[in-house]
Amino acid sequence: MPLTRSPHRSYDRPAKRINWRDVVPWVLLLIAIAVSVLPFYWVLRTSLSMNSSLAANATSLLPVGFNFGAFERVFGLQSTQESIAQGGSGADINFWVYLRNSVVFASITTAGAVFFSAMAAYAFSRLRWKGRNVVFSAFLATMMVPPIFTALPNFLLIKDLGLLNTMLGMVLPFIFMTPFAVFFLRQFFMNMSREVEEAAMLDGAKHFCIFFQIILPNAAAPIATLVLLTFIQQWNEYFWPLLVGNSADVRVLTVGLGVFKSQSPQGAPDWSGLMAATLISALPVLTLFMIFGKKIVNSIGFSGVK
Amino acid sequence: MRRTALGALGVATLALTACGGGGDGDDAALDYWLWDANQLPAYQQCVSDFTADTGIDVEVTQMGWDDYWSSVTNGFVADTAPDVFTNHLSRYPEFVANGQLLALDDLAATAAVDTSIYNEGLADLWIAEDGQRYGLPKDWDTIALFYNEQLLDDAGYTAGDLADLTWNPDDGGTYEEAIAHLSVDANGIRGDEDGFDKNNVAVYGLGLNGAGSGQGQTEWSYLTGTTGWAHTDENPWGTHYNYDDPDFQASMDWFAALADKGFMPKLETTVGASMADTFAAGKSVLNANGSWMIGQYTGYDDVEVGIAPTPTGPSGERASMFNGLADSVYAGTDHPEEAAQLVAYLGSADCQDVVAEAAVVFPAITASAEKAAAAYDAQGVDVSPFTTHVEEGSTFLFPITAHASQIDGIMAPAMDAVVSGKAPASSLTGANDQVNALFE
Repeated sequence: MPLTRSPHRSYDRPAKRINWRDVVPWVLLLIAIAVSVLPFYWVLRTSLSMNSSLAANATSLLPVGFNFGAFERVFGLQSTQESIAQGGSGADINFWVYLRNSVVFASITTAGAVFFSAMAAYAFSRLRWKGRNVVFSAFLATMMVPPIFTALPNFLLIKDLGLLNTMLGMVLPFIFMTPFAVFFLRQFFMNMSREVEEAAMLDGAKHFCIFFQIILPNAAAPIATLVLLTFIQQWNEYFWPLLVGNSADVRVLTVGLGVFKSQSPQGAPDWSGLMAATLISALPVLTLFMIFGKKIVNSIGFSGVK
Repeated sequence: MRRTALGALGVATLALTACGGGGDGDDAALDYWLWDANQLPAYQQCVSDFTADTGIDVEVTQMGWDDYWSSVTNGFVADTAPDVFTNHLSRYPEFVANGQLLALDDLAATAAVDTSIYNEGLADLWIAEDGQRYGLPKDWDTIALFYNEQLLDDAGYTAGDLADLTWNPDDGGTYEEAIAHLSVDANGIRGDEDGFDKNNVAVYGLGLNGAGSGQGQTEWSYLTGTTGWAHTDENPWGTHYNYDDPDFQASMDWFAALADKGFMPKLETTVGASMADTFAAGKSVLNANGSWMIGQYTGYDDVEVGIAPTPTGPSGERASMFNGLADSVYAGTDHPEEAAQLVAYLGSADCQDVVAEAAVVFPAITASAEKAAAAYDAQGVDVSPFTTHVEEGSTFLFPITAHASQIDGIMAPAMDAVVSGKAPASSLTGANDQVNALFE
């Protein structure tokens, strides 16, 4: 480090100078925070506004005609007449049912995909068998296939199985594994120490035992990361649930919000209702982030120091 | 650990079984779908009355326009389509061609309906090329101009001035003069004054909804219809489209030029935006739109909205596309006779009077439409600019032909190119050839 002050001036208390090297990152950080938080604020501001007044006061930073009507609409606490009087469209969101379906759909697919992917990753990383790498390469290659190509065959299969408009039909394509999850976990499993595994084998442990008692507990952090990533992805999944689970009793929130958004052709959506529902539907994922956030940071740190 | 994992699987299986409902209805309940949320309360009422009358349960599902058609067509494939659903003129020919609708003449309840109660011509739209009826009309719509009273007043125009506007494809007539004068740039200079900055417009004279694809229902058909031009050689069931007509192309060049002159928003700014919301935000003064949008436009707070008739054209008359919805019965329904009873009831005066009182659309039944006009009147909304078209006979029918979705696939990008100024209207000749090749 070069000296910044000459020795003969050490008696003076030099005026504190602004160190631009410190200030610039702070300013950039504050701008980044503002840019990422502002849309959330705008969602909140719109959801607390009177829908019929929004358009005429489009630039108002504060809620226009502050009220909780949009949230009442979302939770089904408002009659259709009240809703229309407040500028709602008269459409309602069967929020609790859709929320339940979303939670069930995202939880089951996440639990299944992570569990089965972990088993596959174990087989690809810890077991030695003929053609392992070839199979793994073929498996990875499936990551290159855009999901839209498999949508139609999957749809026909689910239809032929008589599983349309059932939760089972909705979760089946996602529940077993995803190439990404297998790849992700395999990288972690490969770096685990072989000695522990060999010691366990000497003690008579079989693969089942090793997998559940050694590998899984040691991979808790990456698994937590994967759970979160998968859950968010499944929570936001739109196309497949729209295709297969369109009936109201299995409809998930994303589809429910999409249907709510578009009404008559050219009609404007019930923005405040839509924003209120969006805000509430984002809460579960935010909560998950709060619970798992530290683990994710740890797991990334873990992968860094390996 | 093992027990936990097995337990979790067990719970998952239970949840799957518990939520795996939604099978095909073995019960006698009918499914009825519609897309317009504004009409939902009225039809919910109709359906309760119907159930009280007949003992037939009906479940009403409302689904927004964007997802409605994919859900209906998916339902046809998967055999989960609703027994009865609200149908659109642009869609039903394909459904008929694919055998997805039941002919209503074959069903007792709908065959018995006297179609003379409906507004002239509406019922005939639902007779397909095979001569059979596939829908009973429920409402109709026409086009008029919504305007912002305050901004109109600021420009020195009156409602009376708007009612007397004339239009032609050469210089746009007094209609373009009005649109130009109503446009204001960021410096407060009007579109017909020197120094108007067309690249920095604060208020557009005319709002834009989109390029209108092949129909231009609310975008330009109310203008092209006044030139004597028609979309097809005959309607319904024409087999030749006329987008290559030089007069039509002149109209489209004029329309596209409005955006270039700064009197109308550019096409790209309309993507994902609602013309009505933009209007309510004071960004445009005139909006040509359909009668189904009355509730939307008059529902805004802080904006005084008036309605004016569309301008008179070279033919000396006004023009409006005349469109109407109907209810149809899905061919795969387990309860065809009950479904027909529901269709007949929804198209009856009993139900349409309920719809009329809600003042959301104009019912297809002439007597009920008058009640709707009265209901609008009671709300302080003068809807005569919409009804004028019907009274004066200045309507032309929504073009009904085969291959609607393929035509849309050709015409939507072609019209986008023209209205966005990327291609001259003469480029529509090529698109027209492609469209007409579908009929060969």
